[in-house]
Amino acid sequence: MSNNIKYWKGEDELTKNPSFLAAQRNEFHDDLPLDEVFNEEGVELQANRRDFLKYFGFSVTAVALAACYKTPIRNAVPYLVKPEDVTPGVANYYRSTCGACATACGIEVKVREGRPIKVDGSVDSPISQGGTCAVGQASILSLYDNERLANPLSNGSEQTDWTALDSEISAKLKSVVAANGKIALVSGSLHSPSTLKAIEAFKGAYPTTEHVSYDAVSYAGILDANAADFGKRALPTYKFDVAKVIVSFGADFLGTWISPVEFSKGYTKNRQPNAEGGMSKHIQFESSLSMTGTNADHRFPMRASQEALYVATLYNYIAMGSGARQIPVPQQGELAGNSIKKTADALLKAKGTALVVSGSNNTEIQQIVNGINMLLGSYGTTIDMVNHSNQYQGSDVKTAEVLAGLKSGSISAVIFYGVNPVYNHSKDWAEAIKKAKVSISFASNKDETASVCQYVCPDNHYLESWNDAEPRKGLYQFTQPTISNVFNTRQAQVSLLTWANANIAMEKDPFASKGIFSQKLQASPFYNFMRNNWSATLGTDDAFNAALEKGVLASGISEGGVSYVGNVEALASFVSSNSKATGIDMVLYQPVGVRDGAYGNNPWLQEMPDPVSKVCWDNYVALPKSLAMKLEIAEGDTVNIKVGDVTYNNVPAMIQPGQANETVALALGYGRTAAGKVGGSVEKGYDTVGVNAFAFANNTGNRSFVAKNVDITKGDENYKLAQTQTHHSIEGRDIVRESTLGAFKKNPKAGNDMPETHIYTIWEKAEYRKDGAPNHLWAMAIDLNSCTGCGSCVVSCSIENNVPVVGRDEIRLRREMHWIRIDRYYAFNSAEGTMTKDDEIAKVDASGNYDHWQNVNVLHQPMMCQHCANAPCETVCPVLATTHSTEGLNQMTYNRCIGTKYCGNNCPYKVRRFNWFRYNDNDHFDFHFNNPLGKMVINPDVTVRTRGVMEKCSFCVQRVQEGKLKAKREGKSPNEVVVQTACQRACPSNAIVFGDLHNPESEVSKLYKNERGFSVLEELNVQSSVKYMTKIRNNDSI
Amino acid sequence: MIHDSILRDRLVTGDKSASDVTRDIARPILNNPSTAWKIGFTLSLVFLGIFGVSLLYTLYTGIGVWNINKSVMWGWDITNFVFWVGIGHAGTLISAVLLLFRQKWRMSINRSAEAMTIFAVICAAMFPVFHMGRVWVGYWALPLPNAFGSLWVNFNSPLLWDVFAISTYFSVSLLFWYIGLIPDIATIRDKVKSKLGKNMYGFFSMGWTGSTRTWARYELVSLILAGLSTPLVLSVHTIVSTDFATSVIPGWHTTIFPPYFVAGAIFSGFGMVATLLVVARKVMNYENYITIGHLDAMTRIIMVTGTIVGIAYLTEFFIAWYSGNIYEQYAFTNRAFGPYWWAYWSMMSCNLIAPQVFWFKWARTTPWFIFIMSIVVNVGMWFERFVIIVTSLHRDYLPSSWVMYSGSLTEIGLFLGTFGIFFTCFFLFAKFLPVINMAELKSILRNRE
Repeated sequence: MSNNIKYWKGEDELTKNPSFLAAQRNEFHDDLPLDEVFNEEGVELQANRRDFLKYFGFSVTAVALAACYKTPIRNAVPYLVKPEDVTPGVANYYRSTCGACATACGIEVKVREGRPIKVDGSVDSPISQGGTCAVGQASILSLYDNERLANPLSNGSEQTDWTALDSEISAKLKSVVAANGKIALVSGSLHSPSTLKAIEAFKGAYPTTEHVSYDAVSYAGILDANAADFGKRALPTYKFDVAKVIVSFGADFLGTWISPVEFSKGYTKNRQPNAEGGMSKHIQFESSLSMTGTNADHRFPMRASQEALYVATLYNYIAMGSGARQIPVPQQGELAGNSIKKTADALLKAKGTALVVSGSNNTEIQQIVNGINMLLGSYGTTIDMVNHSNQYQGSDVKTAEVLAGLKSGSISAVIFYGVNPVYNHSKDWAEAIKKAKVSISFASNKDETASVCQYVCPDNHYLESWNDAEPRKGLYQFTQPTISNVFNTRQAQVSLLTWANANIAMEKDPFASKGIFSQKLQASPFYNFMRNNWSATLGTDDAFNAALEKGVLASGISEGGVSYVGNVEALASFVSSNSKATGIDMVLYQPVGVRDGAYGNNPWLQEMPDPVSKVCWDNYVALPKSLAMKLEIAEGDTVNIKVGDVTYNNVPAMIQPGQANETVALALGYGRTAAGKVGGSVEKGYDTVGVNAFAFANNTGNRSFVAKNVDITKGDENYKLAQTQTHHSIEGRDIVRESTLGAFKKNPKAGNDMPETHIYTIWEKAEYRKDGAPNHLWAMAIDLNSCTGCGSCVVSCSIENNVPVVGRDEIRLRREMHWIRIDRYYAFNSAEGTMTKDDEIAKVDASGNYDHWQNVNVLHQPMMCQHCANAPCETVCPVLATTHSTEGLNQMTYNRCIGTKYCGNNCPYKVRRFNWFRYNDNDHFDFHFNNPLGKMVINPDVTVRTRGVMEKCSFCVQRVQEGKLKAKREGKSPNEVVVQTACQRACPSNAIVFGDLHNPESEVSKLYKNERGFSVLEELNVQSSVKYMTKIRNNDSI
Repeated sequence: MIHDSILRDRLVTGDKSASDVTRDIARPILNNPSTAWKIGFTLSLVFLGIFGVSLLYTLYTGIGVWNINKSVMWGWDITNFVFWVGIGHAGTLISAVLLLFRQKWRMSINRSAEAMTIFAVICAAMFPVFHMGRVWVGYWALPLPNAFGSLWVNFNSPLLWDVFAISTYFSVSLLFWYIGLIPDIATIRDKVKSKLGKNMYGFFSMGWTGSTRTWARYELVSLILAGLSTPLVLSVHTIVSTDFATSVIPGWHTTIFPPYFVAGAIFSGFGMVATLLVVARKVMNYENYITIGHLDAMTRIIMVTGTIVGIAYLTEFFIAWYSGNIYEQYAFTNRAFGPYWWAYWSMMSCNLIAPQVFWFKWARTTPWFIFIMSIVVNVGMWFERFVIIVTSLHRDYLPSSWVMYSGSLTEIGLFLGTFGIFFTCFFLFAKFLPVINMAELKSILRNRE
């Protein structure tokens, strides 16, 4: 049945009323009452549907257009022809030699896709022995410093053409020689055979040239003392690894003195306690608390100006004990509470394994020290004068002569190679250099000295250079480039050879037909020169390549002895005249971070907390508590210091525990005026960082870094230092455990013999944690006896994990980003015993006696994410951004993090770090993350974190993954997986061990069974994956 | 029929008739805004502006513009959050719990208390939302099906419980408030002159007719919602307290927190109600509706809850000592005698000591004094949260990470700004909606026979 029934709405439709039909065409039968409504309210609504569509269309289009922000396109261009030795994603490692300082540690450079991104120690180098210092670690960033000179400068203007510059300079130098004018070549200590040969070639062409070695912080005192006593102006090789009793007078041999990595490696070998008592004893006399002093078993305050008396007294006691003649000096009564006598006894007992060193740059003091070591039979045992060190050779006297010569006009031309005397010797250099007819600097940055030179011929960074080194007699190391020149720079040696017209020597590669480097590195003429230089010893390609691959070539240890011709008794008058203490002494010291200031523009070093004070980004006057109370100085105050005619006003003050009474200390290496945006630059308008303490050094004779009769008053201003740690005592908490060697011998659990913690849990142990589970279980062990607090791990971690630099203001707000930190705690020793609580210390303070402030024990405790099995951070994250892996790692998923920060609050170790800002591409944080060149140091295996996410130590999960994959690829068993975290790899004292607990043979498994092992905050049952070894001090009796 | 004893003080004074009630309470809505309202509203908008500026600055630059740091990662933000959530407590308590207990005196104040609750929860919600480092992905905290793989939220996290607790509380409070408003909105609908007004009130009155059947349903829904929201009074702040109580931080890891937080929340909530009503009854001439009797009752609650909170403070101290846990002991000694002693003693004197004046009848019946005391209570409760959060974090386990913390200008701006949000909402509420529940109030007039 067809449906033809019709319904209609009403009569109007049925009757087809025209007006109804017209109205029906409208969608809405009646007008919407909107007009009425709005008009009543005094609002006019003129828009009809067309208008509405127009507005709507316009709005949608506008919004759509506004949303079409075009993101910049970045192309990743693949290799058209893949270089043979580059596999994207796989790192290459090259052996080389660190050029950060004259110490010349052997290193291994990690190169990813043609970019060197990490420097670590080479295990084959007897200098570094696999470790690195913080400066060496950080030196890689100076390669990617966008403030480096991109081109040579001629009278301040850039010149791109080296050839024109060469002919101009050669002509000028020739005219100087023609007029019989002298040329001074002032360099840092050089021990590279090829470089020295290049300098000889230069001297051959310009016979009036004198080569002077200048070290900003020199060892001329030791060098001159050895010249006088042994007829050999050289530093000896100190063997801390065989020394059982070490006495140091102000020498910071673990931090900055001569060869700190080598010494740390040697020193820590004997710092392991064992039942036989094999641990060495370390006694330190010093004015300010150095990093080395913090590790000493016994530490005695000493006035720097009285060092001669201290050393002479020790000599006399030892002479008394060994039947030698004493230095005829009047007795001064007891010094340092009979400690020198006891020290002498300890040394005498350890004859043949004793070592005495002094940080003084005074020849006479060093002669007495030589005398002591002679009496103790240290030469040939703990000191090797035959296979001497070449690391430092600078002569302060000759440097001063160059200055005088320039002033008087007797030197007409001067060339600076790796030195910056305007900054770190004397301001007089600026005027003197201007008097020279020719002045050339090889500085790679326009530093203070380069700014006043006519020509700046920027040297390559050491990672762009070919070179060799002989840090110790008979020990050769090689430097090979790991990247082609970033800028239009040229190795200084090439410049010198070019000016000497020795081009032929550089062009000729004796092995060009076979050499694998020859084709690629034609642009590096110094390679040819060096290769020629080695043709006698390393004649074949294979030999040369093998040496390069190893990085080290040892020609064997020379036997023999040295004859001692010193006469200590003759120094009596020197001692007598230098034993009176008056006024206040100021010690100028190299900080572990920026050292002598050469790396002042390196943000990693500026942001590395000082190992002792934990201050970043500034130097400060370290005051003893007694003096601070006298001057009414509190934290945050400043002081005015005046020595002779040098005055600095409003220098930040800090009350430093361990600082000897009547002495203050100020770090060198700050106050750069032409370093750059990080270190400060007057020309570019960046504030200087700290004050230049070199101005206080006494440049007469061998430079003295002890200023006497310092005038010190309270300053008008306040200044907040950027410190990463502001509370310094452990408040009696069981966080760090320590004991003495005596107690340890009786009970290996000494100090760690806590009642067993009863922890009840309703949960079963996780499957992956059970013994015999098939997975890895990563864990770490840290030996507090080995850790010296040097901070190398902090910098290494920052490099490996792309940790941003945040700058002084952020650190003041307590927002440093370091994933690993070294907690440093003081314990104050007074008559009432050792105090670790603030209120106890304050109580003793109230008595007005501040001796306990001089007399502190120090503990360093590296602290990073503990990768707790029951991690408090994991349960509180609302979005599961931090979770646990089945290999025991506490993982952070940056992408998932929404930034509630609860995990950070709930971390009992406070190791989580939050990205408060975007630290990359942000002009407010104008460090290496803010320019394309600086970003080349970024580790491509680690995400650069965005603003608003939490981050923390990952146990270098990228290295874990790499190690696992490598083992798998090579078909090895899981127990053969080798993973070293970045902190462990850098550590110069082998304090950090990382490994798999499920591998019973791993070092970490063994350490987990060690009686000294403890976990921090074990009672919280968070079950951390880091065990610390109880600190054992060898201080039962001196 | 009247259930109240005639011996009792009248809940509504001034011999008001039902039409008086409507006239008095609808007056501000039907008339043009008064000068006092305009001044107050402008001032609120200024503070709202401060909030906007501070928030934009924070969002644009990063929450680094606050002074929170590596150890104190929550500061003013979460202090303010807990503060506002606490204030938001009185509304539900008054409307739900007192309704169930048939406390008729609540009828004059429940509307404004509920409004206050809703606005306070809005203010509170600002902080957990904007304290997030990446607020633009904040919705990941919701258990939404997603395209990110198998990602899901962590039901172990108290922050997630917060998300549920606060959103449930907010929706139930809003619903309860709105249902209660329907008869009154209908009254306004019938009185308002403008067409727009008629439409708007008409829409929101949802076709209320006032028939017996609607009234019966209305009463039933009110009762059900009261039953539903009563547990919320306890649950919301209990869950907020677990943000701290489930952690391992000494000073936070405390089982006493849930009851102590709930008591504190009621305490601060009534403090805020008192602040608002003492002013409102004066400015809007509602002395006959919000009587001294109301103030008296509220101050009694303030005194009782203040004392409970005070006892909780002392109990914490006792337990810290009794536990023998040195970290716990230090945390509490440090609160009272450490660098933040001033915050602690402000809290103690404002919350425990000051409310004891309400033992005296004069103190309970003098509006200006109650106003001052209510401010004191709110200051004290802000300090309580500051003390709990900051003093626990600034010195926890490892002394190496001990820090100091003080709010930055932006953090202060955000806090002041939330008062802008709160009062802007409240002024709009006072202008456009009846601040007293007319319909219910009419049921307790004595002269209605």
